[in-house]
Amino acid sequence: MEITLENIIPIPLKENLEKRPSQVWQSKVHFGPGTKVKIKAPSGTGKTTLVHFLYGLRADYTGTLHWDTKALNKLDADQVARYRQSEISVVFQDLRLFAHLTARENIELNRVLQPKEPYYPDTVIQEMATTLQVDHILDQACGICSYGEQQRVAIIRALVQPFSLLIMDEPFSHLDQNNAQKAAALIDSECDKRGAGLVLTDLEEDSFFNYNTYLSL
Amino acid sequence: MLNTLLKKIIKTGAGRFRYVLAMVGLTVALLLILAAIQLQANYWQLLKGGGAQDSIANFLVINKVVTNQNAGNTNLTNQDIEDLKKQPFIQAVGVVTPSRFKVAASGGSAMPFYTDMFFESVPDQFLDITGGDWKWDDQTQFIPIVIPNQFLDMYNFGFAKSQNLPQLSHELVKSIPIRIDIQTPTGQKSFYAKVAGFSDRISSILVPQAFMEWANKNFATEPPKGASRVIIRTDDPSNPKLIEYLDSHHMTTDMEKTRFSKYRQIVGFVVQVSGFTGLAMFLFALLIFSLFIELTIASCREEIRLLVTLGASPGQLRKFLMKTFYPANIVIAIIVLVILSILQWLLSGLLAHESMTISPVISLYTMVGAVIVLLILWWVHVRTIKRQIAGT
Repeated sequence: MEITLENIIPIPLKENLEKRPSQVWQSKVHFGPGTKVKIKAPSGTGKTTLVHFLYGLRADYTGTLHWDTKALNKLDADQVARYRQSEISVVFQDLRLFAHLTARENIELNRVLQPKEPYYPDTVIQEMATTLQVDHILDQACGICSYGEQQRVAIIRALVQPFSLLIMDEPFSHLDQNNAQKAAALIDSECDKRGAGLVLTDLEEDSFFNYNTYLSL
Repeated sequence: MLNTLLKKIIKTGAGRFRYVLAMVGLTVALLLILAAIQLQANYWQLLKGGGAQDSIANFLVINKVVTNQNAGNTNLTNQDIEDLKKQPFIQAVGVVTPSRFKVAASGGSAMPFYTDMFFESVPDQFLDITGGDWKWDDQTQFIPIVIPNQFLDMYNFGFAKSQNLPQLSHELVKSIPIRIDIQTPTGQKSFYAKVAGFSDRISSILVPQAFMEWANKNFATEPPKGASRVIIRTDDPSNPKLIEYLDSHHMTTDMEKTRFSKYRQIVGFVVQVSGFTGLAMFLFALLIFSLFIELTIASCREEIRLLVTLGASPGQLRKFLMKTFYPANIVIAIIVLVILSILQWLLSGLLAHESMTISPVISLYTMVGAVIVLLILWWVHVRTIKRQIAGT
């Protein structure tokens, strides 16, 4: 899928934005398969807001946002769900796991959510968890896992579904350099396998991926 | 797999006790509603079924109630008769024509008796005597007459016993010629009559309508009197509306034949009470179900929101919730139908001893009723779930 932003201004940030330039707000931006985009921005400039706009969680903006050829606010709930099941995947900054489900169940849910055959067999959960060194907490309720562990579970959850665009909001914020490297490698290979594009927002510069585009908010 | 996970996420535990109570309520409600339908079906079967009804039951002779006020003036006016014809529960009305001449009958040596009597006639369609016997023209040797069965019973078991006279069979009575003397304006005329049949339907001595018209024309000593009695054909003598109509118009009929009306009113009352109670309980059960669904969805609002965020479609969630809530209703309907089937089977066995035949299996109406109730439940569930999911 492709996401096109045209003249998007978040209503809550409207006054702030008029004072400073931005490469995303009030301009035309394009995200799609195959391109790796890094959006670097300090706190409070609307990173999470942008991720929520892109993923269709919020609509308090002016301008138009297209998912493929259709304006996002013109899509009905079932069409949005179909995109989220098979075209767009996400890692939220606040992770958004079901605290009372185990890590495995949280991941499994996203694997089996689309009505078609799952993209991966369930053995892949174990493999990815082993790669990211969270296999020991797979059967533990997410609520009692550490943030670092939860973040890796959220990353695996995003990777077990089919997608052509992966959106991540500070995905390595709770990981040490070593674990972040491993997670990035896994994400990179999964994106390449699907020919998918990714959009990553963060506070700092990083060299986890071969970004095609750098944008500042 | 997805459903297992959804079951863990969308907890239906909240208000479980209330839900079980609602289920019990629904069971009782359904039992009452379907029992009412089944009872009505059984009653119809008893009423319309072959065994329960003889041809006599369909004919009633109606006359005004004789009171001190109206004695001597009990004729039914044309308007009364027209009104009777208009009633939906009366299919045909025939006027009972009285003779307007004096008649005396005597039996000869085989049955020595002499009596003054009278004739009446009704249209042939109201009699079940068919064939050649019930015909008269001026060439006919014997006038066929019909006498009430009660007459013969009275003679055989009352009169003959006490007076040491021989008892007479139907066949014997039919073979005895009876001499009929009619007083005409020009003197007495004699005819011979034979009993052509016995009637339980009309307590009168009947002659063919043709003879009556001829005789009234030729021998009448009195002017036409109008009808004092009519005979009606009705498809259901126990119809409470018929009884009500007769009462309100100060008419009366053979109460024996309408005795079923009382039972019918009782059955009707039971069916109504059971039906309405069931319906009221059903409405409450519906209310509790929709409240329970709302409660469940409201208590899982956060989880449902996150599921939608992750890509669960509202359609998937609706389907899951339907699967969670609806099958219990089907189970209840089946349980109720099974209970009713057992009761019906027992009842049919019980009534068989009373030589009343009802089907040993429940009626089609009952099953259709169950399906309709399930459809209503389905609709309420779909609607509530759809509204609640859209609201999250």
